[in-house]
Amino acid sequence: MVPERDSQLADLVDLGARRGAAYADARRVEREYEAVAVRDGEVESVTRSADRGIGFRVIYKGAWGFAATDRTDEASLRSVVDEAFARAAAAATTRAAPVALAPVAAQRGEYRTALGRDPFAVPLAERIALLRAADANLKGPHAVSRRGSIAAYRTRKHLVTSEGTDVQQEIVESGAGVAVTAVKAGAKPAQRYDSRLVRQAGWEFIEHLDLPSRAARYRDDAEAMLDAPLAAERPTTLVFTPEFLALLVHESCGHPTEADRVLEHEVAFAGTTFMWPKDRGALRYGSEHVSMTADATVPGGMGTFGWDDDGVPALRTKLVDRGTFVGYLTSRETAAALGLPVAIGSARAEGWQHFPIVRMVNVSLDPGTQSYDTLLRGVDEGLLLEAPASYSLDDKRQNFHFSTQSARVIRRGALEGYARGISFQSLTPAFWARCDRVADDWELHGFLSCAKGEPLQLMRVGHGAAHARFRDVPIEVRA
Amino acid sequence: MINGRDAMLAPLQAALRAAKADEAELWVHRRRAAITRYAKNEIHQNAVADETHVQARVVAGGAIGIATANSLDPADLERLLADAKAAALESAPNADWPGLSGPAEVPEPRAFDAETARADAAGQAEAIARVTAAAKGRGFRAAGTHQVELTEDALANTNGAAAYAPGTMAYLRALVTSDTGTGWAEDLGWSTRALDPADVAARAIEKAALDRDRTQLAPGEYEAVFEELAVAEVLRFMSLTGLTGQTLKDGRSFMAGRFGEQVTGPRFSLWDDALDERTLAIPFDVEGTPRRRVALVEGGVAKGVVHDRQSARWFDTRSTGHAADPRRYSVGGHAGNLTMAGGDATREQLISAVKRGVLITRFHYTNTPDPKRATMTGTTRDGTFLIEDGRVTHALANVRYTMSALDLFAGIDLLGPQRLARDWWSSNGMGSIVCLCPPIKVARATITGSSPL
Repeated sequence: MVPERDSQLADLVDLGARRGAAYADARRVEREYEAVAVRDGEVESVTRSADRGIGFRVIYKGAWGFAATDRTDEASLRSVVDEAFARAAAAATTRAAPVALAPVAAQRGEYRTALGRDPFAVPLAERIALLRAADANLKGPHAVSRRGSIAAYRTRKHLVTSEGTDVQQEIVESGAGVAVTAVKAGAKPAQRYDSRLVRQAGWEFIEHLDLPSRAARYRDDAEAMLDAPLAAERPTTLVFTPEFLALLVHESCGHPTEADRVLEHEVAFAGTTFMWPKDRGALRYGSEHVSMTADATVPGGMGTFGWDDDGVPALRTKLVDRGTFVGYLTSRETAAALGLPVAIGSARAEGWQHFPIVRMVNVSLDPGTQSYDTLLRGVDEGLLLEAPASYSLDDKRQNFHFSTQSARVIRRGALEGYARGISFQSLTPAFWARCDRVADDWELHGFLSCAKGEPLQLMRVGHGAAHARFRDVPIEVRA
Repeated sequence: MINGRDAMLAPLQAALRAAKADEAELWVHRRRAAITRYAKNEIHQNAVADETHVQARVVAGGAIGIATANSLDPADLERLLADAKAAALESAPNADWPGLSGPAEVPEPRAFDAETARADAAGQAEAIARVTAAAKGRGFRAAGTHQVELTEDALANTNGAAAYAPGTMAYLRALVTSDTGTGWAEDLGWSTRALDPADVAARAIEKAALDRDRTQLAPGEYEAVFEELAVAEVLRFMSLTGLTGQTLKDGRSFMAGRFGEQVTGPRFSLWDDALDERTLAIPFDVEGTPRRRVALVEGGVAKGVVHDRQSARWFDTRSTGHAADPRRYSVGGHAGNLTMAGGDATREQLISAVKRGVLITRFHYTNTPDPKRATMTGTTRDGTFLIEDGRVTHALANVRYTMSALDLFAGIDLLGPQRLARDWWSSNGMGSIVCLCPPIKVARATITGSSPL
């Protein structure tokens, strides 16, 4: 379907072209958010927020300029155009070579999230009742703090470019989370939470989460961790849940394959990478069981869209193929700079006020063929790490440290109680080289706030993973 | 460029006059951020955005509702107050609700410079060109950011509170990369006059030139010199895990049950003072309470925490003016303008006091595996060096540091002069903590790993 022409956006782009821009785009974004939180059984807050504005981007004299405003009167929009050109002209004084964009055919159309039930239309009373049901299951003998929340997000976006692209998107996301803190005299406090339960979907996803059952599991985990013995500090077999691996994939594969890190655009903030162009097709990233894919087409993914903010349609590409590093996440600019074709569109901006930069879409660990039960039966002695707690990475995404909220002991292929105090640090390729099996129980996770860029942009990204097993991983144990 | 007190405050007061609620409050934060990013000696992103964030807090039947938007138009503000009221009516009453603030005398804003508010793209590019020219002169490449911000905060409520303050911020960072290593330097202040591009370039270049022939440091305990940015990183975790009413109430603070006790070394003193004219701050918090100086740790002895109105209610005291932007921090206070006592040791004196140890410029992506002990873990970057017999002798591959702030500060031997610095999170927009802090020489820092060469 061809969207209705937005005359304000089209006028801005036309003006940009008339003033000599080699490229211009205008993007209108409207965002809505609604959340309800329950704490210790009572409604803690109901929050509604909204914002809207226009971002305008030009390549002029071979350099980017960008300006954004939340006012849409004529004077403000004229000022936005002036500012974008002034910033491009200033940037041009430092450039040795002009910005180039990898070619993409003009795009027209609309994309909308497929919704079972609009989460904004669900009565607050129904949302609160579900949270109270979950809260009741968070109660345990030592629970001192119980929280739950449900949120809905809607983003409407319209992009018009000087190359003829005119696309509209309406993306709706639903999310929920529960958390419990248990405290017992003489024991280290135990927290069990999940802030990753988000999906590009409607209320049906919230129902699918089964918050009451999840809450009961979190309560049991937290209570058990209070009395759990310290793990033995020696290399062991680690099995990770898909939820834990989602974050590991994000931090140790998603970020280092961002092409702007290669070009040092992020060197002074997020850092660079250890996966350089010369390494493509050669670097052993992990074992033969490790393949990772960037895919903006996954139904329900938090990194799924019709087009990125360069106007590139949703695509899918391999990043790691059977252990070998093969691909990058790119924007049109970074693809051109690296001499790559457009294999994926990853230029994304958090809001109207942000310049699109290279972000993850849905970056996932490909599933294996073995069932989780079979994978577990292959562990004589080891640990199942359930959800990440603290995590810290170096600027190349090569050296990382993770701790866990809760860990289960695996003995002779079965789960047997809990262990605590566990963290691990590793170099990325050394860690993934220890992966000797990925199960087939692939599931999708999502993050709301991957941080990158200046000014800071918090991006929604998706990650799929299945249970996976890693051999002889050195662990640290602290009381 | 600047809207001014009337343009920011009058729409709020007009909207509140028509508000139908027990209590209502409107807070607006306008931010015009001009951010020029450069890499490989070229500007690659050059953006300016002007945004207005408006938050309505409405109390109805003892319950609180919050709604936010980005417009000061009368109709939009009316809708915003109605949304917040509807949210309040869906919520449960807060039995501990302390009420909104009343009228109060707010100190004059100090962190504002009209010339900085007018800074343009050409000036930013010129400052960057001075950095890149110096780097190119050595055959190095420079990357970083030149940032100029104008903010305007205004708050009004139905109790008659009315406050307005403009603020400015200027920041220049330079990461210089040679064929063998990297070096970092930055300047931060509320005026572009606080930025010295030539000096920033020289400091970063000096470190990059020294960063060659790296060696790896084995895990263990070492004497150490922490430069200001590294100290700010450690202070961040003290702030988040232990210096607020909320952490105290939850029993998570290292101060819990320990006021008046020695919690760290006697050379460590820390306070929060948003009114210090050297720091970046506005003189009231997001509830309209004037900010006060709060002693946190004196001579290693636990003294106090900061409060917003809610946490003041919990502890039967008064707010210290430390309510934080709820988009970033939860209710219960936020210590975001930390000052750590300094000394007069020069950089040379700090280094020469080390028999064998490590010099740390800054950290990257830190976290806390043990909040109750304010333990921080993170890898170093852009200037990590081995010190032997009082001299920098080798560049080091980045190391992973993991240690409780209380243990680190217990070992302070020497302190240098204070400087304005932010942790990695805050300098990148993921936090709001500004520190006036010194470089320090400590007897013991725990290194738990090393990155590859």
